[in-house]
Amino acid sequence: MNKPKVGFYNLSGCSGCLLTILNCENQLLDVFNGAEVVSFLMAQSNNVEKELDIAFIDGSVTTDEQEEFLHELRPRTKKVVCLGSCSCYGGVQAMENEKGTWLKRFNKVYGKKPFKVVKPFESKPVDAFIPVDYYLPGCPIDADQFLYNYARLLRGLPADVPKTPVCLECKWHENECLLLKDKLCLGPVTSAGCKAKCPSHNLPCIGCFGPADESNLTSEFSLLKEKGYTFPEIERKLRLFGGVKFIKQFKSLWKKAQK
Amino acid sequence: MKVLKLKKHNLNDYLDSLRVWGEVYGPVKQGEKYIYGQLDDLSKLDTKMLRTILPVKKFLMPPKFNTFTFDENKYKAELENIPNRIVFGVHPCEIHGLLILDKFFLERFPDPFYGERRRKTAILGLSCVPDDKCFAKSTNTHYVESGFDLAFNDLDNYYLVWVGSSLGDDLVRIRLDLFEEDIKEKDLKHYMEWRNWRDSQYKLNVNLTAMPDIMELNYSSPVWDELGDKCLSCGACSMVCPTCPCYNMSDQIRPSQFTGKRERTWDSCMFKQFALVAGGHNFREARSQRVRLWYTHKLKAFITEFGKAACIGCGRCIDTCPVDINVKTVVKALKGGK
Amino acid sequence: MANNVYLPEPMRIVRRYDLIDDVRFFQVRPLEMERALQLNYLPGQFMMVSLAGVGEAPFSISSTPSRPGLLEFGIRKVGIITEELFKLKENEVIGVRGPFGNGFPIDKFEKKDLIIVVGGLGAVPLRSLLLYTLDNRDRFGRIFFLYGARRPAEMLFRREFMELKSREDLHSMLTVDKDDTGRWTEQVGLVTALFKNLKDIDPQNTYATVCGPPVMYKFVIDEIIKLGIPKHQILMTLERRMHCGVGKCGHCVIGSIYTCMDGPVFSYWDVMHMKDLI
Repeated sequence: MNKPKVGFYNLSGCSGCLLTILNCENQLLDVFNGAEVVSFLMAQSNNVEKELDIAFIDGSVTTDEQEEFLHELRPRTKKVVCLGSCSCYGGVQAMENEKGTWLKRFNKVYGKKPFKVVKPFESKPVDAFIPVDYYLPGCPIDADQFLYNYARLLRGLPADVPKTPVCLECKWHENECLLLKDKLCLGPVTSAGCKAKCPSHNLPCIGCFGPADESNLTSEFSLLKEKGYTFPEIERKLRLFGGVKFIKQFKSLWKKAQK
Repeated sequence: MKVLKLKKHNLNDYLDSLRVWGEVYGPVKQGEKYIYGQLDDLSKLDTKMLRTILPVKKFLMPPKFNTFTFDENKYKAELENIPNRIVFGVHPCEIHGLLILDKFFLERFPDPFYGERRRKTAILGLSCVPDDKCFAKSTNTHYVESGFDLAFNDLDNYYLVWVGSSLGDDLVRIRLDLFEEDIKEKDLKHYMEWRNWRDSQYKLNVNLTAMPDIMELNYSSPVWDELGDKCLSCGACSMVCPTCPCYNMSDQIRPSQFTGKRERTWDSCMFKQFALVAGGHNFREARSQRVRLWYTHKLKAFITEFGKAACIGCGRCIDTCPVDINVKTVVKALKGGK
Repeated sequence: MANNVYLPEPMRIVRRYDLIDDVRFFQVRPLEMERALQLNYLPGQFMMVSLAGVGEAPFSISSTPSRPGLLEFGIRKVGIITEELFKLKENEVIGVRGPFGNGFPIDKFEKKDLIIVVGGLGAVPLRSLLLYTLDNRDRFGRIFFLYGARRPAEMLFRREFMELKSREDLHSMLTVDKDDTGRWTEQVGLVTALFKNLKDIDPQNTYATVCGPPVMYKFVIDEIIKLGIPKHQILMTLERRMHCGVGKCGHCVIGSIYTCMDGPVFSYWDVMHMKDLI
């Protein structure tokens, strides 16, 4: 049987998700034996661009060149899988999105000289440009969740990314609840899969796996408000990884609460 | 039942000696809470603990474990590498929780994965003093007569040790020299005094007697909608509840060959996908329906099924839910209190 | 461990063909003939079908224990597991464990008249009951079989049921909502319209069994109630998410009952009495 052809690509981001895969040293042979890896710039030379079964994309879209690449890629791959919060949600670099301040911030960093090589724009997730089949979120992705889904995808099964909240895995690790300790923890509204890494180190969840299946934002919001957090504080935390998805809902809740 | 005495200063020596039989676990402090942790170092043992974050069910049906490994269509049950374990410090209410799980897992269609772990886990009970979240006296689970191998009753400078099983007797015999067998009248007096004092220490009373009827009458109550609006559906209540048995299954395969494992993980009926069937129909779409199921199952259904409620009054839900949905508040709300 | 209830038993697919567009018939049997002949179950029970690497799901048994040696299923392609099942060919091996569930109370049916009402995919479990009662014909009273499908092309086991029409000891009525072929020789109309053909029903001595899509139940049960059949003599089989089949995983729980152990066959009284059942 012909092995499925896969490609791993990297747009704007730290490449930490691809690195997470390469860090699976014990399973690395499995990863490369289970498929024909035709393109993986970070891992091998002699990459070829051809028809694919699955394309894995790490990083968000920030230039016209990347946008063109996505349009070129989509027709020649059967499935597109987003790896990590950048490609799924826009990533940390999308935290100020929709505020209308992008150009100002861009100029502040890069000066006003025109960019010649590529045309940059505000960071966006991959699905803002092309249809995406599956999302493996996280900053970075969880190695076990990747390996589990990689094996499924190679066998033609759909990805299986349970969107139960972080609290589930957090309790498995017997962590003290940080919300009960009045910390601004996003565990209940954030999708698990991370093995509750942050709360297990006594750090509140910052939402890097994106929204859980059923985020009760209203209740989380009133709880945080009760604990004395202000809207800007909550918003900053949510924006960090959740991108703009949560914000609108929170804003209306905040307005309602002000009345 | 055989009853012995063990001087308190001999406890650590005794627990240390049990390593010949298996790994020794007991309550250790984690942050401001407690967990059942492995006692490599007995100085970590904290006998004054209140409830642990996860109950002792974590040893008998771990949050995540493999049930089978498979190779093509050949399945092999993973029952061989389960170690012998001794869990010290299990409070009476929690042993009642185990008795409920035993009925659940071992009576109709015995579950070998639970059964094998149960057989290899020695339960060493320990008497406790309630805090303001304990209501085991209301649930009548503050004393226990079976379900343990040994039970230690703290009486100032010594323990009364109840031998509850043949394995318990074997465990005593490992260091019989540390125990005294002559129970005197003053020990009995001492024990009765302690019992009366401890009974007086319960501050929280949650009366569950009429719950089946009350649940039935409240089936369409707006209380469920209010609770549903508030519930974060984080599932923490199910994780920490000593009698929540629900689980999920998933097959894990290797990318390059057809071998894998069938994994079992804790699940909660508070999650949206819990009653979702292939084709997309969800039998409990609304959060309020799910909260209602959780409490109906604990406080009504179990009584129909096993003759008693599946609440042991340990207070873990009170200690865990970030939005204060727990047996105490729900029962109060259903009875019309605020 | 002598008997692990979770251990799938390898069974070979001996036949498979499409019943209708998205529903496929699977006939399977244990690898050893001796074991195959030991298979025992009741109409209305179900098996957990297991595909290594994919998972497990419950499926109603469509065959009858009165014809030993094999198990039959009618499976609709609706999720991940069924999608993978449809890729399998004859002679391939799957895992099967069971039987689970209560099944129909066959003993109570003895000497009684039986009305079997089927809509769409409900033919899968009720075929088991129908064939069982026909194979043990003298144990039961009159048997009425009422099957409604949307179109002729959506009627499961169509040829088999057509052939059964020639039996004189079975009152079989087949209907379609709409005949789009022009060649349909049976009734046209809803399954509820067939009730007018039921004559001389002695309600106390009649059991009715119903299985079909959720929309059907209310109307069919109204008809059965009109016949005067007591609520506890009206039986139906229900569907829930299941991972174990043995009342452990909790997914099929409704109040104090586990659909997998206490069901999937429930009486109409159960359904009225236990909220949330349908």
